[in-house]
Amino acid sequence: MIAATATPSRRKIRVLIAKVGLDGHDVGARVVARGLLDAGMEVIYTGLRRTTEEVVRAAIEEDVDWIGVSILSGAHQVLLPKLRRLLDEAGAQDIRIIAGGIIPQEDIPGLQHDGVAQVFLSGTPIAEIVDFLMRESVQPLKEVP
Amino acid sequence: MNVVKPPSAFQADHAGNEVAAECERWQREAFEPSRGNRRDRKKFATDTGIPIDPLYTPANLERIGFDYLRDLGFPGEYPFTRGERPGMNRTEPFVVSAYAGYGDAEASNARFKKLIEVGTEQILVALDLPTQCGYDSDHEMAAAEVGSVGVAIDTLADMEIMFGGIPADSLKRIGALGNSIGPIVLAQYAALGEKQGIPWSRYTVNLQNDPLKEYIARGTQILPPEPAAKLASDCVAWCAEHAPNWSPMTVCVNHINAGGAGSSMGTSIALANVQHYVELLLKQGYSIDRIAPLLHMFPDERHDFFVSIANLRALRRIWARMMKERYGAQSPEAMACHTTVYGHGQEALAEPLNNIPRTAFGTLAYVLGGASYVYLAGYDEAVSTPNENSARVALRTLQIIANEHGFADTIDPLGGSYYVETLTAEVEKQILDGMAQIERIGGALPVISTGFGRRKMTEGAVRRQRAIDSGERPWVTVNMWQQKPNVPNTAFRGDAKAADRQLARLAQVKSTRDQARVKTTLAEVERATAENRNVVPAVLDAVRAYATEGEIVDIWRRRFGTFVPSTDF
Repeated sequence: MIAATATPSRRKIRVLIAKVGLDGHDVGARVVARGLLDAGMEVIYTGLRRTTEEVVRAAIEEDVDWIGVSILSGAHQVLLPKLRRLLDEAGAQDIRIIAGGIIPQEDIPGLQHDGVAQVFLSGTPIAEIVDFLMRESVQPLKEVP
Repeated sequence: MNVVKPPSAFQADHAGNEVAAECERWQREAFEPSRGNRRDRKKFATDTGIPIDPLYTPANLERIGFDYLRDLGFPGEYPFTRGERPGMNRTEPFVVSAYAGYGDAEASNARFKKLIEVGTEQILVALDLPTQCGYDSDHEMAAAEVGSVGVAIDTLADMEIMFGGIPADSLKRIGALGNSIGPIVLAQYAALGEKQGIPWSRYTVNLQNDPLKEYIARGTQILPPEPAAKLASDCVAWCAEHAPNWSPMTVCVNHINAGGAGSSMGTSIALANVQHYVELLLKQGYSIDRIAPLLHMFPDERHDFFVSIANLRALRRIWARMMKERYGAQSPEAMACHTTVYGHGQEALAEPLNNIPRTAFGTLAYVLGGASYVYLAGYDEAVSTPNENSARVALRTLQIIANEHGFADTIDPLGGSYYVETLTAEVEKQILDGMAQIERIGGALPVISTGFGRRKMTEGAVRRQRAIDSGERPWVTVNMWQQKPNVPNTAFRGDAKAADRQLARLAQVKSTRDQARVKTTLAEVERATAENRNVVPAVLDAVRAYATEGEIVDIWRRRFGTFVPSTDF
């Protein structure tokens, strides 16, 4: 099912929705995945309990533009910077990270400093996430080969 | 139904028809003209999709064919609609319970003592994610999560510290979730009694121990569903033999509903899970009358107050009929559905104090519906493990519901309400329809393997999100009087020192225990598992020898493999 888009020469935004660590709550992740799909993006979901290494591998294999990490277990300060570092080490500096879930307000600037583009807390309307990805994806959109 | 009704029922029918006609007239002449006053988009329907009428009258009871003796009866009697026990809150008030635990055993012990001071009658220990997922605190998968969302328990030594100065029989029940590690948690609580010199008959252990819902809703699954369900049912069988006063399994609607399936479909799936566990036990030769009284249900509805009451009443009725008609139960104990609930509302991240009335209303509905063991979420629980203050407010709220306002003075106070009885019948129908759908796909295991359960949940979660985004489901501070969601800095601050203490203790236990005894007891766990025997006796010996949780779970991982989570959404 390939819908015609306004800019057919450009590919659709590709997003990997990821669950890292042991946190088993993935309703939010799945609802966001559906919302992004409905907004015309291409979405892949990792399933639960992935290591950061597995997420990086999947992101590169699937050639995504964004990784959306859902995290509710409080391990964000360890796992998100690690994910950024592993992406950079693998030469995937162009893959950007957004995060969602339960993340204390005061941790957000630090996470942004460590390479997380944006944090969306539980309760954020899906449209806000869609808008952000559309806007931010405009400049570095990859050409279809 | 072509039943000739006695004169009194005929009169009721007649009255019902007259009321129906009058109600139609009222709606046309009085109510409809007033509709213009309301301009918002609110649709009047339950979260489970039942349309809500502006007014309920005897005509509704007429429509559902309400029959008092058949549909309600009396508390403690078949079909148990009005309560599982004769006296309910009037003579045996619901048990004020707390779900608590964080950091390591020492930190949790201190918290438990404070909760007991405030009046907690039951403590269900919140385990951290590594423990729930079968990893010791020193496993690489445990990094950053030791003691974070609950307490780390690796060996019996942690149990001894956690319950230091808290005798097992000083509370009405103690326990933990242990969904994927049921036999280990059961053994830890059995060994705790031995260490404290208290016989199993003198205290009550409650486990959640319901692995089947983990695969679709909660995510702490370890093994594939079939062996996981078998290990869980071993706990019930062991208790039937050795501790019939314990409640080793609490089958959950909670997470399935919260995840999006809705309370009616959530109840259908949970009851299908009950059937799976029960049938495993019946195949082993246990009678339904012996095992059903050991099971508990954990119903859940957090959107609609009256649906919550209706759900509990309908659940008890369905349970009673299922035990009697499907399984041939004869004892009333087997037909009386025990319920544990955890009070929630639509908690929001903004202005967390507003969650106090939300959770109080949610909990009140459960109490009016006749729940027996009642927990209440901390107002900060949407963002973190409750702090000392929010845990205290939660307990006080339970005590207020139990003692003030006259909420608990009479049994099933809403029985007979035109609305509640109509909803009870409609919710019952939804649950039975869901059970029939599940039966058609082959029961509880296909709910997981065919994606049925996850599909119901995702569809429901998307529907709920749309209803919130559009304002159709009103939510104060979220889509009305909007405030930015806020997660305060107090959230989820895992105590790094607690994690360090835990690692040090685990290393110490591992180096000082009787290694030969650990080895032989683990070998016996391996044999019992391979021979498809009840694993609990062997696990109990391993726990007594201070084998770690991870060492035992690794035996099962090697034997059964691990479950690969779905990537569907």
